[in-house]
Order: sequence, then structure tokens, then C-alpha cells
Amino acid sequence: MKYINLFFLMIIILITSCKSEIDDFDATAGSVDFTTYLAFGNSLTAGYSSGALSSSGQKYSYPSILAQQFKKVGMQGEFKQPMMPTEDGVGLRFSSSGFVFNTRYILGYKQDCLGQVSLSAVSSDPNASQADLQSQLFNSVADDGPFNNVGVPGLKSTDAISPISLFNPFYARFKSDNVNYVLDEVSIINPSFFTLWLGSNDVLLYALTGGTGDDITDVGDYSTAMDSVVNRLTKNGAKGAIANIPEITSIPVFTTVPYNALVLTDQNTVDALNAGYAVYNATMEGLGLDYRINFTIGPNALVISDTTMPVPGVLAFRQIKSNELLILSVPQDSIKCAFWGSMIAIPKQYTLIESQIDNINQAIIGYNNKIAEIANLYSLALVDMNTYLTKFENGMVFDGMGFNTKYITGGLFGLGGDHLNPRGYAVIANHFIEAINRKFSANIPQVNLTDYPGTQFP
Amino acid sequence: MKKFIGLLLVLLIITVSAMAGGYQVRLQGQKQTGIGLIGTPLKFGASSIFYNPGALSMMESKYSFSLGVSPIFSTAYFQKSGSDYQAQTDNATGTPFYFYGAAKVSDKLAVGLGIYIPYGSSTTWDDDWAGQMLIQNIKLQSVYFQPTLSYQINEKLGIGAGFAYVTGNVDLNKALPYNDNSEANLEGSTSSYGYNIGVFFQANEKLSLGVDYRSKVMMEVEDGDATFIVPASLSTSIPATNKFNAELPLPANLDFGLAYQLNKKLMLAAEVNWVMWGTYDTLTFTFKESGDLLNSSSPREYKDSWIVRIGAEYKLNEKIIIRAGGYYDPSPTNDLYFNPETVSLNTLVYTLGLTYKPTEKLCIDLSYIQTFGLETDKSYEPENFSGRYKAQSYIPGIGVTYSF
Repeated sequence: MKYINLFFLMIIILITSCKSEIDDFDATAGSVDFTTYLAFGNSLTAGYSSGALSSSGQKYSYPSILAQQFKKVGMQGEFKQPMMPTEDGVGLRFSSSGFVFNTRYILGYKQDCLGQVSLSAVSSDPNASQADLQSQLFNSVADDGPFNNVGVPGLKSTDAISPISLFNPFYARFKSDNVNYVLDEVSIINPSFFTLWLGSNDVLLYALTGGTGDDITDVGDYSTAMDSVVNRLTKNGAKGAIANIPEITSIPVFTTVPYNALVLTDQNTVDALNAGYAVYNATMEGLGLDYRINFTIGPNALVISDTTMPVPGVLAFRQIKSNELLILSVPQDSIKCAFWGSMIAIPKQYTLIESQIDNINQAIIGYNNKIAEIANLYSLALVDMNTYLTKFENGMVFDGMGFNTKYITGGLFGLGGDHLNPRGYAVIANHFIEAINRKFSANIPQVNLTDYPGTQFP
Repeated sequence: MKKFIGLLLVLLIITVSAMAGGYQVRLQGQKQTGIGLIGTPLKFGASSIFYNPGALSMMESKYSFSLGVSPIFSTAYFQKSGSDYQAQTDNATGTPFYFYGAAKVSDKLAVGLGIYIPYGSSTTWDDDWAGQMLIQNIKLQSVYFQPTLSYQINEKLGIGAGFAYVTGNVDLNKALPYNDNSEANLEGSTSSYGYNIGVFFQANEKLSLGVDYRSKVMMEVEDGDATFIVPASLSTSIPATNKFNAELPLPANLDFGLAYQLNKKLMLAAEVNWVMWGTYDTLTFTFKESGDLLNSSSPREYKDSWIVRIGAEYKLNEKIIIRAGGYYDPSPTNDLYFNPETVSLNTLVYTLGLTYKPTEKLCIDLSYIQTFGLETDKSYEPENFSGRYKAQSYIPGIGVTYSF
């Protein structure tokens, strides 16, 4: 019997004597002092998502995700963000009637003019009034500041060093006392480490309005502004990471509505339309120009307005080319039911034509050259978002989840089509961490993507 | 006796990990378990039905019955690549049992029946863990029913063969990326056939040898039940209930072992197992409805593995025999196609065993083994899921053998 007792005793000793857990991740700061972190940028930095700045989106801003990881390598104190008062938030967009406020979008059902119901972005609070939304946005939270997240929706590089930024309601709501412009916020926080992602709006505000709402910032002006910004950020020896500008024309807000969205199913309509454009075609031929408008059964290139054509204003329309873009804001019911793109040329604020796309791409190349130069000159970690986003065009997989640049189903972008969803921001944060680790020989842990919500299907 | 039960309960409460490579479980006899899971060159009575049917006709008594269970307390640990994210499994206790009954119908011929569970696994990750899109939890089990004939050609040589009727079932859950609650459940069962043949050779008084081959069994699930919990907006493209087909191989084993009786008290044994895991290359699910969207074919690319075992048995006195052993079990998995549904790592194992014979006819067999799945970086490339894994298991076992 004593042998049997001995046998059990031995087993107990064996079980209790070995520790089996896996070694912890060894987080190190490398050559960086992460004590005080400041994020500088635009709506992407603010955590704008699904068409609005909301507390539910800000919670998952990439700076907020980064700050949570930086805490593991020496960040002190709280990373303060100028939180919006509600989860539904407030967005601001241009329309023909001026500025319009909206809540964030969620996925819901919408019935189109043909009575067809489909999954679409709908307001998270359809009852929110313009006055309510405006007062939410205009309500100052400056007393809770100063803020470590200086991400200002709508901010362009040139605004950062201009008093014009004081008129941006997204900045006005959290600006500190005695500042002349947004960049002055840097001196109030006085960071030991910063991230900088600025420049998208220098083309995006132009692009989102088909070139009607804003101008593309000249590369020279961009460079001057960025020099000032980086100078200020690095003034006290802070290290940092700078992200470059992705190819904005590959984001869903420009790629969702196809150029040939006019689907004709009836030969009589096709014939009538073609007959209607006979005079146009003959005139163009007479002028020695190549423009022709033709329809067939099936998908057809939409007719758009193009004031750059070398013709009198009444003839300044044509069919869109397959490499030109429609903006998600185009009223699709008007295409389906009100003859937009067939009998009525689509107004130019809903399109990007070839020359505009070229201008946008040229500007981005210029900005990115400047960003690379700055990264080099100031020894910053360069976060190459431009190359990274192109990888998503072909699809990427993380932890069994597919991501691409498609609207709604792509898993990366929010329902506005121009910003990311929380899981997308986590992907971005991980890319920042990769670049920071590489540049500064740090070992900051990346975050687990399934901890961040993707686009929720109803 | 009360003390032992108390101690056993203490063991049961300590929750902990796994077994042999892949989803194989070789706990088919407590005596063999104690001696490094070596069985081919040994004649431990009725349990030879699994380890070597050739040795069954060599059993010394006319009748032999054996019954036992080995609760598996296993845990797998995960550390995500580049991240401080960690997870560990909360596996349900696996309970592989065995039952054997054998009788000598003549001096030369023995017949027997074995019921045992040579393949199975139970892996339960948290529902919201990082690998949820690959697997949340899985339960696999196969039960073998093996009637067996064994014939003693002469005093030295025995041969045997068993026909195996195999029933198996699988139940797995994985998350889907449509919203926080989306998931798929697949549940199916099937049956199949295989065989087990062995030769036992008593070279002289001291040396015995054994060879055993257990065939591959292909478990083909047809019309298994698939349940999808998806958002209402996707219910037209992904039906809530569906049927699926899939197949999973239970690989063939070729075992060769030898045992040497050094003196009256001490016996030494060694064995090698060739486990033909190379047959497991792809896991394919085919669905009856919405196949375009749901069908999947994922690489596993297992490779054959060789397990090397050593063990010893020492007779303390007429009533007590103690055993010890150890083995190295290399993982059959592929480093690039390592799916967390089966956390099979290169594993080191030690085994302990004790037999208490209160009477001539009765043996109470105890065993205890502990496995250490060595910490390794693995990834499942098609889903870009990688990290560092480690695994551990504690397996106490108890059995009785009654021979007369």
C-alpha cells in the first residue's frame, strides 16, 4: 500500500512543480521616450468613421489604439481625446444647399425609386434634427483639455498654420486658450513622441466635390506647411512617425458607383436615346471632335457634364470614360428614375474626370516625396500607407478575416466610404507599430484585430 | 483506499493537455501506458487486442477482461505573433476508455473483443479569441469495436487479426465575420471499417518481439448538420440550416517493439511507431446549399511521424509492479498549415505506472503520464494566423484486469 501512496505523492509533486504558461511578450521602447504622446492630423487621426465624428468612433481612433499600446512601453498619464457627446456623433458634408449635418451611418435597408430594398448606409438616428447636431458640434469641450489627439476633421496642411483653422467647428470645439492656429496645440502638450498624418484633405476636399468645393493644395505650399508642422513637433527633441498619403481614388467613395451604372433593358429606350443624341454626334463630327454618345442593351457609360471640353457650354457633356470616377454622393435614384446619366448629364460635383484624377495623383506623389524627405531629414519612422493600401486592393487576410477596399463588404472602410471602420483603424495602428518598431528598434506589441468591431450587418 | 480516491479527485480537479501527435490517442491499456505506451512486444493479456493481436493467443489464463479510463486534462497556450495577445484553451476533459474481453477457446486459439478510442480530441478556445474565424472549439471522437482472432503457431510465435468497426463524430464551431454574433456549427457522425494485424515472437526466455499494423480508416461524413447564425440581411445567401460532407483520415500505424527480461525483476522495452499522417493533406467541406459561397478546401499537409519509446518494468514483490517510460512524439503538422483546431506540437512525455495485485486473478492498474508540447512558432498561412504555441497535459489512468 505504501508504494501506491508514494505513486500518488510523486504525481502531485510532478504536477505542481512545472509551470506551463507561455512566456510573456517582451515590450520595449527601443530608442524612444514614449512618456507624452501627441497625434497630429485630420479626420483619420480624430477617429472619424462612417460619416461622422462620434464617441463610438473616437474610442477606436488609431491614436487611441496606439496610446493603449504605448502605455506598455512607458507612456504616462491619460491619452486625452476631445470626445463627442454622443455615440451617433456629428458629420458635416457639402451639398448643393450648403453644409449639412448628419449622424454616423449604420447598415440598414433603403428602398430605391424602383421599390427595390437593399442594404445601404442609413442614419444611426434618423430623428436627429439639424439644430441638435449643430449644437452638439458647437458645444466646447475645451475645459477637458488639453488634448493629446489633435486630429481635426477637414484640416488641410495649410490650415494647420493658419488662423483659418479657428473657424473649423471640429477644432473650435476643443481649442485651447491663447492659440493662433491648430499647430499651437503642440506646444501645450509638448510631446516626447508624436504621430503625424496630414495631407489627405489637401486633395480629398477637392476630390469629394468633383473639384467644385475646394482647390488641391499646391505641392510647394504643402511642403512649406509641413516643414512648419514638423519643426514644431520636433522642437524639443521629440521623435515621431509620419504617415504618407494613400491613393485616394482607390477608396470606396470613388470606386463604388461604376462608370457604366446606366443599365438599359429595353430596346425602345435604347433607340430613343440614340435618336436623341443623333444631333450631338453629328455636331461633334462636324466640329472634328471624337465625342460620341451611344447606348446599347446592358450597362452603359453615364453621360456627364464636362466643362473642360473645347465646345460651347450647351454641348459640354459626354459619356464618362471607364477610367473616370463617380462619387458615392451621386443620387443613384436620379440615375435609375430621373434620367440622370442618360437624358440629363450628371453634374460635375459628382464626377472625377481623367484630368482631375491626374491632378490628384500628381499632388499625392508630390506630398509623398515631401513626406519621405521629412522622414529622412528628421529621422522619423515612415509609415507607408500609400503602398499598404494598394495591397488591400488585391485583398489581405488577417486572422482568418478578409479585407479589401470594397464598400461595405471590404471590412476595412466605414460606411462613409472614405474613412475606416474600427477594425480598419486597428489595422492602421498595427502598421504604425510595425514602422515604429523597425525605425527605433522598439518592440511594441500589435493589437488583436478581432477585439475591434468590423462593419456590423443587421 | 479512501485516500487514493481523495488523491485521484485532487488530480481530476487540476485542469490541464493533450496526447499523441495529431488527434491520435494511444491510451489503450494502463500497463502499456505506464511503460511508455509500449505494447507490441508485450503480452499483457486482453489489451493485446489493440496493441498486438498476435500476442493474445500467448495469454496465460483462459479468460481475461480488462477495463480502464484515462481522463485527459489538457491545455494549449497561444501567444500571437508580434502582439502581447495571449490565449489558452479551456478543454473539456477527454475520457478515452477501453474494454477488452478475451478467451482461449483452445490451447492455440484465442478470441476477443475490444472497444477503445484511438483517435479523438477536444479543443476549446474562448469564443471571442484571436483565432475565432479559424476555430472556436472542436470535439472529435472515434470508437473502435474490434472482434479479434489470435492463433499460436508454436510456443514462440503467435499471429492475430482483428476487424474494426469504427464509429466517429465531430462537432465544431467557428465565428464568421458578419457581425459580433455570427458563427457556424458543424456536426456530423459516420462509421467505417478497418483492421488490425500483429505478430508476436518469443525469441527466447528473455527476448520478445512484436510487429503490429493498424490500417488507415477514412471517416466520411455525409449530410452532416450545418447551422449558421448570420445576420438577417445575409439569410437569403447563407441558409440557417444546411448539410455538409467532409472526410477525415484516421491514419495507419506500423509498430515494432522489443522487450528484454534482464532478470527476474527487471524488464526493459523499446518500440517505434510509424504513424502515416502523410495521408492528411486537405480538409474539405462541401455544402448542399450555397456551395459557391461556403465550400472550403484548406490545406493541412501533415507528414508521417516516427515515435520512439522506451520503458521499464520492475517487480517489487508478488503484489506490486512499477513501471516507467518515456517517448518523443514529433508533430505531424506542417509549420505553415498549423491550424489551432489541433494543437499538436513536438512532444516529450514521461509515463509512470503501478500494478497492484490483491489476488492472483485481479490487477488494479494505475498510470500517470505527463506530456510537454514544446513551445514553437507556427502559422496557418492561408488565413494569416500565426503565433507561438505550447501545450501540456496530465493524464492519470486507472484500470482493472481480471483473469482466470
